[in-house]
Amino acid sequence: MNPRPRGTTVSSAFARLLETLRPDLVRFAFWLARDRAVAEDVVQETLIRAWKSRDELKDSAAARPWLLTIVRREHARLYERKRLPTVDVDQVEALGDPALASDGDAGLEDLRRAILQLPDEYREPLVLQVLGGLSTAEIAVELKLTQPAVLTRLFRARNRLRTIYGLDPAEDAE
Amino acid sequence: MSNTYTCREARLEIGGDPHTLGPALSEHLATCAACTRFRSETLALDARLRSAMELPLAGFRKPVQSAPPARRFALAASVLLGILVGGGFWLLKPTPALAGDVLAHVKHESASWDAHEVLTPSELAGVLKTAGVQFDSSMPIVYAMACPFRGRRVPHLVVQTADGPVTVMLLAHEKVSGRQEFSEGAYRGILLPAGEGSVAVLARDGKIPEAVAAKMLSDVRW
Repeated sequence: MNPRPRGTTVSSAFARLLETLRPDLVRFAFWLARDRAVAEDVVQETLIRAWKSRDELKDSAAARPWLLTIVRREHARLYERKRLPTVDVDQVEALGDPALASDGDAGLEDLRRAILQLPDEYREPLVLQVLGGLSTAEIAVELKLTQPAVLTRLFRARNRLRTIYGLDPAEDAE
Repeated sequence: MSNTYTCREARLEIGGDPHTLGPALSEHLATCAACTRFRSETLALDARLRSAMELPLAGFRKPVQSAPPARRFALAASVLLGILVGGGFWLLKPTPALAGDVLAHVKHESASWDAHEVLTPSELAGVLKTAGVQFDSSMPIVYAMACPFRGRRVPHLVVQTADGPVTVMLLAHEKVSGRQEFSEGAYRGILLPAGEGSVAVLARDGKIPEAVAAKMLSDVRW
């Protein structure tokens, strides 16, 4: 909801906005970090930073991309600050996370594992687009890439997932 | 099929963003059955991806540790948010039906039902502009968000009525063939065709919000 131009009301409207968007921030952080604990840390730091910077958000329609940007920055900052090691794909702890399970839908669980095993350069734009609802132009700005580069990465991400979904991959110039 | 736009280019564009159809791609799809099938497959894959990414969040929260004083207020806010959001209701079963997706989205943003303050026209305009929808209404709108839905941003509104809050989603790119009623638990809704798109209207009190639906239908322009 849009922030209101009054002191306490602004705060409560902003809190409600965070409350609404928090689940997707947690999910985005999880797909980004591939680790539940790191994702929780990142979202906690994100909410603190967003709260402190709430006056910077002039248009609540832009809240989602604004918060996703903060999540990305906090994720990078956490790795920098704690010097967390980068994780090999085969050793991603999240592959065993119960959150990946689904009620009797093995295909969905397989897809979740496949998303986790995508390289960062493919997984991140895909999650920004599918979960975050960002356009390719917005993703290009976010990742500091050209729009064609974003389209190529998204194409390759989906192409790798097609086989998990039982489809033939498309021809690629990879 | 166009000579200047190849199947390979079409598939790159579809694979990059299956929900957006540029003029060259539209022209190509009109004459290429294989690429049309490729797009349908990719859209189906995307619906599954969306379901896959919407992880159940039960158990995700962790207790907040002691924090420096400067952070206490903000942390308190985040703890409160965590409690309010709660866990356990995030596992949404995938469904190809539009009504199912509307229901899933509304449950996903359940906090939207709690809004009470009427938005100003300029606040509403910001959301509509983001979603590319025109909408003139004198109804009291208490919640407005441009939400990701099936690969696009759509206005998700809540209107305050005498019978309680009613959710409205303006779906410029979701065509329906006719009126469709749907329900789940206490939720009752309708999908109505509106030009090249549709309008979804949903209430929680067991009654289909016919009056709101009619008003919305007359007020929306794509």
